[in-house]
Amino acid sequence: MASVAIRGYGIVSAYGEGVAALRAGLAAGAPVLAPLPALAPPADRQALVSAVNHARFPLHPDGTGAMARLAIEEALAMAGIGAEELRDCALVVGGSAMLAHAEQASRELYRTEPGRRPRLEQPGTLTHELAKHFDLRGPTLTLSTACASSANAILVARDLVARRRAARALVVGIERLCATTLSGFSSLMLLDPNGCRPFDVNRRGLHFGEGVGALLIEKEHAGEPRLARLAGGASLCDVHHPTRADPDGSGMARCIHQALHDAVVPAEAIVAVKAHGTGSSDSDAAEAAAMRSVFATMPPFTALKGYFGHTLAACGATETIAFLAPIKEGSIPPTAGFETVDPEIGLSPLRQPLPVQAGNYLLNYFGFGGNCASLVIAHG
Amino acid sequence: MAEAPIYIHAAVALGPGAVPAGAQRQVLVHDLETDLRPLVRQVLGQALRQGSHFVELAAIGAKLCLGQIGKPAAADTALYFGTGLGQIRKTESLLDQVLPPGSGFAAPFDFINASPNMAAFHAAAAVGLSARNLTVAQDELSFERALDLAISDLRRGVTPAALVGGADENFFPRADYLRRLALHDDEIMGEGSGWLFLDRDANGARGELLCVERYGTGQNWLDAVGRRIAAWGEAAIRLVPGFRLSIAEIAALREALPGLLVVPYLPYCGVYPTAAAFGIAMCLESASVQPGLYVHLNRNAQDEAMLVALRVLKA
Repeated sequence: MASVAIRGYGIVSAYGEGVAALRAGLAAGAPVLAPLPALAPPADRQALVSAVNHARFPLHPDGTGAMARLAIEEALAMAGIGAEELRDCALVVGGSAMLAHAEQASRELYRTEPGRRPRLEQPGTLTHELAKHFDLRGPTLTLSTACASSANAILVARDLVARRRAARALVVGIERLCATTLSGFSSLMLLDPNGCRPFDVNRRGLHFGEGVGALLIEKEHAGEPRLARLAGGASLCDVHHPTRADPDGSGMARCIHQALHDAVVPAEAIVAVKAHGTGSSDSDAAEAAAMRSVFATMPPFTALKGYFGHTLAACGATETIAFLAPIKEGSIPPTAGFETVDPEIGLSPLRQPLPVQAGNYLLNYFGFGGNCASLVIAHG
Repeated sequence: MAEAPIYIHAAVALGPGAVPAGAQRQVLVHDLETDLRPLVRQVLGQALRQGSHFVELAAIGAKLCLGQIGKPAAADTALYFGTGLGQIRKTESLLDQVLPPGSGFAAPFDFINASPNMAAFHAAAAVGLSARNLTVAQDELSFERALDLAISDLRRGVTPAALVGGADENFFPRADYLRRLALHDDEIMGEGSGWLFLDRDANGARGELLCVERYGTGQNWLDAVGRRIAAWGEAAIRLVPGFRLSIAEIAALREALPGLLVVPYLPYCGVYPTAAAFGIAMCLESASVQPGLYVHLNRNAQDEAMLVALRVLKA
């Protein structure tokens, strides 16, 4: 498959508005973690989360829309794309924040009319609003593949551009905090009360984060500046179990192999890996097994969820940006939250920033429902 | 360069009442609340212990569809799935559990099943597919979008075959369903699961998928669609209208295209966001199917329309 250029990106994360705030937060190395009493989950299920500024971006469709518009505007400005160039632009959105919005609407209605249900928005509502706001007239799509949603959105956007279905494509990943999701992960015993510690021996799960990331993708044109090149990727379904990867990592490994094949990049040419690294016991072990089976010599790898949480449907966009932004400055961030090697895994992710080399990088994203997505991104 | 033709080899339209066979299907006279568990055991050979009603709808449809091709599908067959409402019943349950006056504790299976992609997972697991698996949630046009992705991948050889489906479940009370979809009180709320199996091999095909086209906002889509249909230059074209298409819009197309026949399907499945999957599949699986050109047309609340054209071939 033809590669495409990533020409711009923008983000609203727990570190604040914009790529500069994200880059500064990653460089400082301090995770953004705080309780979120406003969501009032049951007392024993209080958990630390990575939240955006809710005074500025309330947990409401308007707040989420504002986040998405800011992220898109930043991506467009970085790419130097004007409004007139957006007519032939596709929009592929991963996630919808529908559950968070439904929860908030239910809370508000319960205060005034207990027992009455709010009219829930449909998953594509925000996508339509964004397309209308930016006057995007290309194809619009909302993908719902759990934590692989916006990574799959990147691949679908790549296809739309490479197949000339649109001149360019905006990818947006969206996730908002909600007590329902927190309680659900808590019920599955997948929340780490101390924050996410990917691949660490003491890891207990994820911590929930929210954010919106936007990337602008175009066909490559010789001589035009780009931030990175999406060389290839793959997505598939590991049907081992609805919520657990095959422990031997075979499903994940198959996805990585297909992504490398699609990019025409041998495994030994991968400079470094951005692991999915949820911090859950089973998932990290399976991912480590997958990487071991793919790489004869394990390249350096990092995981980013310890910084600003697991942004679930948005993580394909937010973590791709969080990987690319520091690369532009010359380093790959180490793994926040990691301290001690798990002897059962026997792999240590990056503990110090790694100087960037030109070459190909692998980025992994895995979700419930067996959805696996891997991207190969070339830098330099 | 002409685009590679895409052929339809199997089609299943499962509507309310759990009746997958066309000959036995009856016009709905009221809303149905169907227990799919007996059909799950009959079709899948076992209960879906962790599956929701929505998951059951999708898995039964997928299994029946692949069962029609008479051989196991290649493992690299991709699955594309559209849903407008997703796991609406489980989402409502979760909100009841977690929000006041609920306990605050989410039931694990309800949480897992609240993810819309769980239906595509169980559908893939039921038929042994482990390749690309995408769930599209684009309201009234979710199935058409999923079908568009499938065709694009098939034409470029990214996947050798595709199982494409659309499903939605109804929910009670009825008033909430009508309000959520902005329906009138005289409309029957529907649910169903429609599936097509596609590849590039003409041999034994029941139909050919000609196009999936989008008519965006900001253009007079009704005129554009009329011109598009007329361009096929066929005397007998069958319009299969989606649920957002108004009586006035259907009338305008019939006026512009004399001889246009209308094939209604909503009386059999009721109104739901991905009813298009049921309607298109029904064109192919009905016992009294007529060969010829069929065009399914629907639009969304944003006045964006999508047309799916297919040629039903002689049996």
